[in-house]
Order: sequence, then structure tokens, then C-alpha cells
Amino acid sequence: MRRFLYIVREAWANMRTNRTTTIVAILTTAFTLACVGIFLLLYVNLRHAAGWLQEDVKIMVYLDDGVSSSLRQALEQQLKVDRMVSEVVFISKEQALKEFRAQFPADSHLLEGLGENPLPASFVVTLAPNYRSPESMQGWADRVQTMEGVAKVDYNQEWINVLTELIGYIELVAIGVGMLLSAASVTIIGNTIRLALFTRREEIEILRSIGATRTFIRIPYFIEGAVLGAFGSALSLGILRIGFELFRQQMQLTGRFSGIESMLSFFPLSLCLALIMAGMGLGLAGSVVSLLRVGEGRT
Amino acid sequence: MEIEKGEFVLLMGPSGAGKSTLLRMLIGEEQPDEGQIFVHGRNVTKLKPSEVPYLRRKIGTVFQDFRLLSKKSVFDNVALPLVVQGVSERDIRRKVTEALRAVGVDHKKDQPPNSLSAGEQQRVCIARAIVNGPVVLLADEPTGNLDPERTGEIIELFKLINARGTTVIVATHDPQVVKQVHRRAVTLVDGVLTQERRSAERVEA
Repeated sequence: MRRFLYIVREAWANMRTNRTTTIVAILTTAFTLACVGIFLLLYVNLRHAAGWLQEDVKIMVYLDDGVSSSLRQALEQQLKVDRMVSEVVFISKEQALKEFRAQFPADSHLLEGLGENPLPASFVVTLAPNYRSPESMQGWADRVQTMEGVAKVDYNQEWINVLTELIGYIELVAIGVGMLLSAASVTIIGNTIRLALFTRREEIEILRSIGATRTFIRIPYFIEGAVLGAFGSALSLGILRIGFELFRQQMQLTGRFSGIESMLSFFPLSLCLALIMAGMGLGLAGSVVSLLRVGEGRT
Repeated sequence: MEIEKGEFVLLMGPSGAGKSTLLRMLIGEEQPDEGQIFVHGRNVTKLKPSEVPYLRRKIGTVFQDFRLLSKKSVFDNVALPLVVQGVSERDIRRKVTEALRAVGVDHKKDQPPNSLSAGEQQRVCIARAIVNGPVVLLADEPTGNLDPERTGEIIELFKLINARGTTVIVATHDPQVVKQVHRRAVTLVDGVLTQERRSAERVEA
């Protein structure tokens, strides 16, 4: 018990003795990890948005103008029994015109001059969840395109492709920046531990002379590293949370992207805990690196 | 060179003769260029780094500069070798109290070492060295920072510890110590054993 208390007390004493260094290490680690966090937050939200868009994507199957009612019904039946399709809604030419007028009242005069209704009848198709990947959608669209009576198959795949590509880039940048800044955190914490080792070298010398094992001597420094990492990481989450809320508020105030602020989400609790654990791991790595490089003295 | 169990040996010689180096070799802190060193039946030169701490638990060490932790109380300083080994709280209390009583500073157990005189600090250092019941006690210039009166007291303390069965090896170039201890004395010059005096002083039990 006294041994355990001793180890914990030593770790605490290390942090208190080098108070300024400890605070600076926590703050620097926090800001460094917050930078990584920004990319991670962007990545999480974009993935969320991509998932949401993918979920919502509708495929428009426009029909030839002269298609007969029986052919249309046969086509509808064919689409409905397709295992890749979850929902089919028919929109007649008249309905399409009505919807156009409702959606774009200012532009409805454009259609007036054309006399006859130029909008085609269409099926709005939602694919089953398992078939919403870009490849499946493309395959399905190509197949339907060749069916008799189908004029054109259209969907917003381009948008999704752009977003997927963007997510890929952000993922790469996040990994790169994350690795670089994590290495910086490890170095910062490592240096703090090295300073602690230097300050307490006499005590370490005494411990060695009375038969303390390497593990016993090292544990307080491991604890110190882990605590610094965990505090730095927790603080970085705090900074991110404040920044995130301010950003969301700003979005709400400007009103330019109305509704988007409700779609933005912060890290879930499980990810927050995982990030704190990761910070702890980085801190531990810092102390391990430090102890391996300078050692706690000779054997 | 061989030192029997229960012997009291003075390691003498001028500064730089190799006295401290020899003591450091005995606790596995330095390796000899050639030859072997056995302590309590174990070949120190063949020990793995992970085995060295366990050797040191059988050897008590006393330094000229005391090497006490200024932020800890006298009690905590003496308790350190036991804490390191995970000894129970009850045994720590008992053994530390006994060791402090043996060296005569039990009344100062709650004070920080810096508030004690040099002689008292050396006594605390000796208490820390014997608290574990070591088989060998090594002292490197233990009286270097003490006046003649305190030197005499510390030497008497070593004799007492030796009388209880602990082998004592004292490295010194203090003539007063040599005068006061009529025991085996080994002189080193430039790392070479040049002279040996064997004395038949009776062990005062």
C-alpha cells in the first residue's frame, strides 16, 4: 500500500515541482491535439453528411413522351419487382408541371411560351439501402437506361462523388497532420519528463543505490506522462467544443445556411473517451521515449 | 582479496586510489576490467542488470554527502529501502523505529533532514543503510563532513553494527578513523592493493 502511495505521490510531486513546465506541456499538447481535432471533426461531419445524402438520393427515370399507358404500367411493375428498388413513385407530365410551378413560381412563365407541356413523365426511384453505393447506382442506372420507353436516367451522383473525394482528401490530411502533431505532442511530453528526470536525478540515484528496480523508478514518470497526455487531450476536447458551439451559433446568426447547423454534430461520448485514451497513450509514449533516450541512470 | 563474513575492513589510500570505485563495483555499479567479484556467494560481475537491485537490497550504503531526500521526513528517508521492496506498513513502522533507535535519532523522526546537524544526518543515513538488515555495510568516506568528535561517534556506531554480525567496509583517508579502528586495513594506490594490516582487535559485543 505504502509502495503504491509512494509511486502516486512521486508522480504528483514531479508535476508539482515542475509546475510551470507541466502547465505549459498540458497547454501545448491541448492546442496541438485541438488542431488534429479540427480535421477529425470536419471528417466526422462530412462523413455524416455524405451518409445522409447517400440515404436521400433519388434516381429519376424520365420516360419517352409518346410512351403508352400499358408500357408505362409494365415498366412500373418491372421496377417494383426489382430487388434493388425499395420505392417507386410515378409523376405524370401534369404533376411535374404542377411541381415545377410550385417550386419555381417566378420562372413559371418560361413554360408558358412553349404551349405544350415540355416536362416528361417520370418515375422517382429510391434504391434499397444495400444498393446505394456509387457503383451499384451506376450499374442500375445503366441497366434501366436500356429499357424500352426510358428516355433518360438521372441522379445526383456527381455531388456524392465530389463529397466522397473530398472526404478522402480530408482523411489523408487528417492522418498526415495527426501523425505530425502527435509526434509533436510526444516530444513535448517527452521533454517534460526529461526535465523531471533531470530535476530528480539525485533521488533516482538514491533509489538505485537502495535496490529499487527499474520499473519502480520508472512508473511515476510513466504515470506523469499518461496524466499529462490525458489532461492535454481532455482540454483539447474542451477547446474544440467551445469552438464548435461558437461556429454553430455563428451559422445560426448569419442564417445563410439555414438548417445546416442542426446537422452538425460534435464527437460522440465514446469517441471523446477514445481520444482521451489516445492522449494518454501519446503521453505514455513520450515518457517511454524519454526514459529510453536518457534512461533513469545506469543500472 | 577476500573479506570474511563479519569482518570490519578499512579501505585506505589517497584520493583517486580507487577506494570508491571498488565500493561501486561491490554494488554492481561499475564493472572491473578483469577479475571477478563475489558478494554473499553471488558473482556480481555476472549479474544481469535486472538482478542488481536485489543484490543492493543485501548491501547497505553510507555516503560522505549523506544523500538524504530533503523533502521527506527522517522517518520516510529511512523507510525508503523497505518501501521499495513492498514491505508491509506494520513492519516498516517497527523496523524504521528500531533502526532510528539504534543510531540514536529516533526523537527526530518527523523532522526534515536539513534541520539536523551533519552528525545526525550521517546517523540517519546509517539507519537507512541498516534498516533492511544487510549482510554488508559499505561506507564511502563517512566522516568526511564531520568534526573529530562526531567522527568518533560514527565509528563507534559502525563497530556496534559490526558486532551484530554485519560485515563493514569503510573507505577512508581520514587518519583519525585509522587511529580509532584497529582492524584489518587495506591500502590502495592507483587501484592496486599495496599494503595490508591485520589487527586482532576483539569484537566488543
